[in-house]
Amino acid sequence: MKRIIALFLAALMVFALAACGAKNDNADKNDDAGKTEASDFKVGAIYINSKNDTAGYTFAHHNGITTAMKELGLDVDKQLFIVDEVPEDKEQVLAAIDTLVGKGVNIIFGISFGYIDAMEEAAGEYEDVIFSHATGYKSNETNFNNYFGRAYQARYLAGIAAGLKSLEIGNNNVGYVAAYGTEYAETASGINGFALGVQAVNPDATVYVKNLGAWADEVNESAFAKELIESYNCGVISQHCDSAQPQIAAQNAGVYGCGYNSDMTKDAPEAHLTAAIWHWNVYYATAMQAAMDCGSADKFVSTMGSSAYYGGLKEEFVDVSPLSENCVEGTDKAIEAVRKLMVDGEWDVFSGVKLTVTADGVVTKTDAALVDNAGNEIVAAGGESVEDSVITGTMNYFVAGVKEA
Amino acid sequence: MGFHFVKRDNCPLWKRCLFYLIAVVAALGIGALVLLSIGVDPFEYYYQMFTMGTVNNRIAYKTFMNYFKELVPLVLTSVALSLAFKMRFWNIGGEGQFIVGAISAAFVAFKLGPVMPMWLTLVVMCLAAMIVAGLYGLLAGFLKVRFGTNETLMTLMLNYIALYILFFIGETKADWNFFLSENSARPVFKSFTDLASFTSIPMGEKFELNICVVLTVVIGALIFVYLRHTKQGYEISVVGDSMGTAKYAGMKVNWIILRTVFLSAALIGLAAAFKVGTAGVLSTSITNDVGWTGIIVAWLAQLNTVMIFVVSMLICVLQHGSTVAAATFGQVDSSFANMLQGIILFLVLAADFFIRFRIVIVKKGGSNNG
Repeated sequence: MKRIIALFLAALMVFALAACGAKNDNADKNDDAGKTEASDFKVGAIYINSKNDTAGYTFAHHNGITTAMKELGLDVDKQLFIVDEVPEDKEQVLAAIDTLVGKGVNIIFGISFGYIDAMEEAAGEYEDVIFSHATGYKSNETNFNNYFGRAYQARYLAGIAAGLKSLEIGNNNVGYVAAYGTEYAETASGINGFALGVQAVNPDATVYVKNLGAWADEVNESAFAKELIESYNCGVISQHCDSAQPQIAAQNAGVYGCGYNSDMTKDAPEAHLTAAIWHWNVYYATAMQAAMDCGSADKFVSTMGSSAYYGGLKEEFVDVSPLSENCVEGTDKAIEAVRKLMVDGEWDVFSGVKLTVTADGVVTKTDAALVDNAGNEIVAAGGESVEDSVITGTMNYFVAGVKEA
Repeated sequence: MGFHFVKRDNCPLWKRCLFYLIAVVAALGIGALVLLSIGVDPFEYYYQMFTMGTVNNRIAYKTFMNYFKELVPLVLTSVALSLAFKMRFWNIGGEGQFIVGAISAAFVAFKLGPVMPMWLTLVVMCLAAMIVAGLYGLLAGFLKVRFGTNETLMTLMLNYIALYILFFIGETKADWNFFLSENSARPVFKSFTDLASFTSIPMGEKFELNICVVLTVVIGALIFVYLRHTKQGYEISVVGDSMGTAKYAGMKVNWIILRTVFLSAALIGLAAAFKVGTAGVLSTSITNDVGWTGIIVAWLAQLNTVMIFVVSMLICVLQHGSTVAAATFGQVDSSFANMLQGIILFLVLAADFFIRFRIVIVKKGGSNNG
């Protein structure tokens, strides 16, 4: 027995020596100030779920990263390194980062919010590697940024489609199955954006929100949609959750719906109108290009121009999926007219200017205060849009016309 | 023709090693076939796995540090479980005991850390985690000796109670909840690295050996002595072999059960304190499944304290190496790595079976219903 242990320990020591001998091999690789060649560029990513997922949040990001790499002529098989199914546990995230840095990656994307502290710490430790964190709010001036998108803009457009439908079917009750409510600015801003879009075409509409208390919960996603249809008499069901269950429930009940994350017309062809979607590849391509151009990791944030990327309709980072045949005639004109206002930077959702939109695409601007559903004034009539930091971080209210179901 | 299993009285060491070797080679062979079928070079994969990606790695020392971080809680938990298992008390509650230990340690760090020197905070964290986890385990032990409840079910269910308490703490933003960071709009566990953090001993240029590794080896040695050379250790094995014999010999069986269960759970609490005191933050995945993996380790090591260290080290190479190898190949996700681990463990357990039993083929002669 002793002999086996001795042998094993000897083997371990050999490992340790081999490892020590091997370090510093490529330490001097990145010291020239020029661009990083595409063929030398390595991308690292840390996922919350499996990289082989076929739907959902991780899939959307993986799809975005691989699409961006192909656009930039990078080889996904050889230049992409992923540690997946990493829970929001600081030690495990740090270990995943160490694994990726050990593989020699130039940039690491972390897609889950809870990776935030580990990424901040690692950015300080590995100054020659770029860290980019989705949905977070931390950053530094050199090699650490965060990124997210103006999903509320896309939701406003989807709200227009939903509002027009509610007018057509003569039902002012609109349902919304949400992962969370006012606990998270991400969900609150999405619900508010959608509700304001609905109200732009149907001022009498009420949006009823059911709060799941989880980012993904297929059973309740379906059950809550059913409850909104049966108990609250909702004719259109929108959602902020991972699966297409609310849309399928809408189809089964013969009502309509707006999906999220992917074009859910294929899941519920008779019910689905349009979905608010992300083009993550837009950010990933921008970030990878900047990472290659900046030459050294400490210039990444200055090359990106900001430590927080917050793209919207203008960057085509968010959008609505192609309108299905279930949409009311003229929906496309109405959406395009409003999209143009946002793309041109003339108007934004959470401002003191209200839009009135008709099915033939006529948009009228009126000064009106943005008011929450408790009657508090958020933005005075004619006032500027609320700060981005509010939309991403502290929006903890619903606008007037939204009710918790 | 038929066959039945006959218990082997004594399997020579070389034969045992051979069986295990065959099992591991067979598992790797099956894994290689699966890898080939999805277009991955099995040699490259296994090379990455067994070296844990440390070759040509500029931060190889980090891999070893992370390796030890993973190893310490697993070894301690497995040793702790082996105490209870020796007594045939099936403590499946390692996860839950680990979690309540971790919460207690974090509680101490937040509440006493600001007013006490760090070394004292760490000591109190360990003690608090041990007591709370010990009592949590004792609950199932008490119910067993008092009411004859099934400890497997009790400890199993207590796991989920602990887990949901942890979820509740992790997801509830409120004034009372000092476990969460005040700076984040979303609920995030607050870090307490500056209040309580186990020191490391610098070795070589960059590698640092966490003090917990040394402590774990010391505790392992103590438990080894405790089980082999003390009266209490002897009592544990007598109770495990036969409750009746123990009673007949005049042992206070209930007391021995309660004492051992407390010690088992308390050691798991200590593992949690080591983990929390190293990570400096809680998380809902704080256990890293050691309560489950520890059962496998304890079983594979046949409750032998020295073998627990060896098996844990190998399992950690498997776990850590799989992650590294999976990062390299797009087709291989961590589920595949888990599956490969499963195949290896399954076949090693099968080999274990053939070490304990042998198959005897018997001819069914003189059957009546011919």
